[in-house]
Amino acid sequence: MNHPYSNYYESSSLFHGSLLNIMGTRFDILFVIENKEIGEALWDNIQTELIRLDKLFNRFDIESEVSQINSSAFLSPYIVSSEMWDILLSCKKYHQQTYGLFDITLQNLNRVLLNIKDKSIIFVDKDLHIDFGGYAKGYAIDKIKNILIENNVQNSLVNFGNSSILALGKHPYGDCWSIGIENPYQKGEMLGEYKLKDEALSTSGNMPSNSKHLVNPFTGNFNEEKKMVSIITKDSTDAEVLSTSLMIAQIEKREEILHHFNTSKIFVYNL
Amino acid sequence: MSPSNKNDQLDLGLRKFIKDLGYIAGGSVLLASTPWLQSCTPEKLEEIKGQKARIAFIGTGSRGVYHIHNLLNIPHAEIVALCDNYPPNLKTASDLCPKAKTYTDYKKMLESKDIDGVIISTPLNWHAPMVLDSLAAGKHTFCEKAMALTMDECKSIYDSYQKTNKVLYFGMQRLFDEKYIKALQMIHSGLIGDVVGMRCHWFRNNDWRRPVPSPELERKINWRLYKESSAGLMTELATHQLEVSNWAMKRIPDSVIGMGDIVFWKDGREVNDSISLTYHYKNNVKTTYETLISNKFNGMGEQVLGNKGTMELAKGQYFFEDAEPAPAILQLINQMESKAFSTVPIAGPSWVPEIATQHKPHYVIDGPISINPGISTTGVDKDGSDLLLSAFCQASITGEKAKNIVEECYCSTVLCLMGNQAIEQQKKIDFPEKYKIPYLNF
Repeated sequence: MNHPYSNYYESSSLFHGSLLNIMGTRFDILFVIENKEIGEALWDNIQTELIRLDKLFNRFDIESEVSQINSSAFLSPYIVSSEMWDILLSCKKYHQQTYGLFDITLQNLNRVLLNIKDKSIIFVDKDLHIDFGGYAKGYAIDKIKNILIENNVQNSLVNFGNSSILALGKHPYGDCWSIGIENPYQKGEMLGEYKLKDEALSTSGNMPSNSKHLVNPFTGNFNEEKKMVSIITKDSTDAEVLSTSLMIAQIEKREEILHHFNTSKIFVYNL
Repeated sequence: MSPSNKNDQLDLGLRKFIKDLGYIAGGSVLLASTPWLQSCTPEKLEEIKGQKARIAFIGTGSRGVYHIHNLLNIPHAEIVALCDNYPPNLKTASDLCPKAKTYTDYKKMLESKDIDGVIISTPLNWHAPMVLDSLAAGKHTFCEKAMALTMDECKSIYDSYQKTNKVLYFGMQRLFDEKYIKALQMIHSGLIGDVVGMRCHWFRNNDWRRPVPSPELERKINWRLYKESSAGLMTELATHQLEVSNWAMKRIPDSVIGMGDIVFWKDGREVNDSISLTYHYKNNVKTTYETLISNKFNGMGEQVLGNKGTMELAKGQYFFEDAEPAPAILQLINQMESKAFSTVPIAGPSWVPEIATQHKPHYVIDGPISINPGISTTGVDKDGSDLLLSAFCQASITGEKAKNIVEECYCSTVLCLMGNQAIEQQKKIDFPEKYKIPYLNF
């Protein structure tokens, strides 16, 4: 169950939609819209898109495309959907731009072969599988952003599990969206605030309750540093990829990686 | 604490109260939803700085003395006269304010030219004659709720108020209670979705009696228990809650059905100790009202039921039906609803779903909330009574009428009296055409 929730606040023309269990986390969106019915129709669109993407990316759902790939691609070409093909190509590109730190196999993406002729994928090693954990939310936010823009929404805040945020336009009573970041090890301690306008923010880091979720593909070890990295870019997928990669990158490698991306701001917190 | 410090504190209290409601000087946008506060803004209080309203009390029993204590802390008021026809109560009050002149005949007191405002805390049957006499004597007037003992009396008061240029307040303190004002603003902004019902209750476990020094004083002291002077639990307790119900619904019920009996306190009293009523609004939403004074387990409460959540007004808490909006997102929504802009702490490493805890409370006000357990028969601290009184004293200087207070009290009192009619006549009672006033909709 996704536990959908929505409400429209007449006096501020504000629509709030929320899914409590989607892609392993919660999704909240606020957007300013003149009329409740239009807001509800748009929210239906957004939910449909998120549920579709969950179906594409969720490796715990045996029917999802990623599960199909993981169970069928070893030594036998698996023909993917054209959207998945584009995603795989973009993940390859990110892999190169991050010098191998962004890796959807969490081991070695070079052992995954892509055949452009029939858009198929083959795993060369038996225990390979792909996991879009550090990618899917950014990709989903970019899709939602397109829906919002197509529907002439100018001001919206999208929060995908706190780690992936899109600030479209501005807060109705401010000149931007002002987002604070809290120290996960010290509840209530604000580490900083970001003034966002038509920008995406992605944060990657460990938490006391969850310190084994970032793997260095070169060592195979979990990164358990008390550290947090925030990235601000125009593109949500870029932000997502960068925050994960820079969390595990050596300091000297950071600049080289950032060189491949457009105007990004990076904040590293050693906690 | 010296008296002057105390004064400063209450003064700040009123300023802070209005400020906390989101009031911005000069642009009273948010006061639009609380029009009765427009006449007592901090700016208007500043204009009368140094002036004092000369206040007289009619009725210095428990509630009167409660008001005296509050009034002694109000810098823009002084108590100049006291009146009661029960000597021990008059003495208690006189000891608290030795400079005030004392009277046993309120009409005599009303002749005095040195009185700006009169505060009436007397048995219900005295409300109408005293309010009408006080207004006729040219005094600004504050009277405890309920408005009066009969619908005709209520209508006379309402009609007189339309003609007078004097200020008239009634003891509807929930209108000045921050947690109610904020909660109602949240309800009206759609926080709990459509309002689909309301449950009000007030439970106590005591006989509602005062000790009587000698038997001939029984009806005077225990006036609440006899129909000649009281309409029972409806006018004493339900007035507040029905007022809030109408506030939440933004309309007035068109009918009521119900029952009432003496279940436990069979001690010669005439008024019921157990009442269950259902008020019907024209949009088919209903408010149930229940009161019983021989079981206190459920205490006092007012629940506004929405299709998306529930607001517990008396506790200043609300609950969502299913999914819980994230706290920081709610903070952001509340911010936009009050046209404010600031940073919200939502960024961080990925949020991991917790096991859903059903019906977790959210709070209307940050910080400590003062909750009235409903036990006291006199009054409690920080329930809006002190601010209501301060606003009345301010109005006794400026002469500026407060919007809606008389109307709110009129409607809730008539509804209480309709409830008693439904009980007595054992049938559905429609809001009588004769007593409809041009206020709110049905």
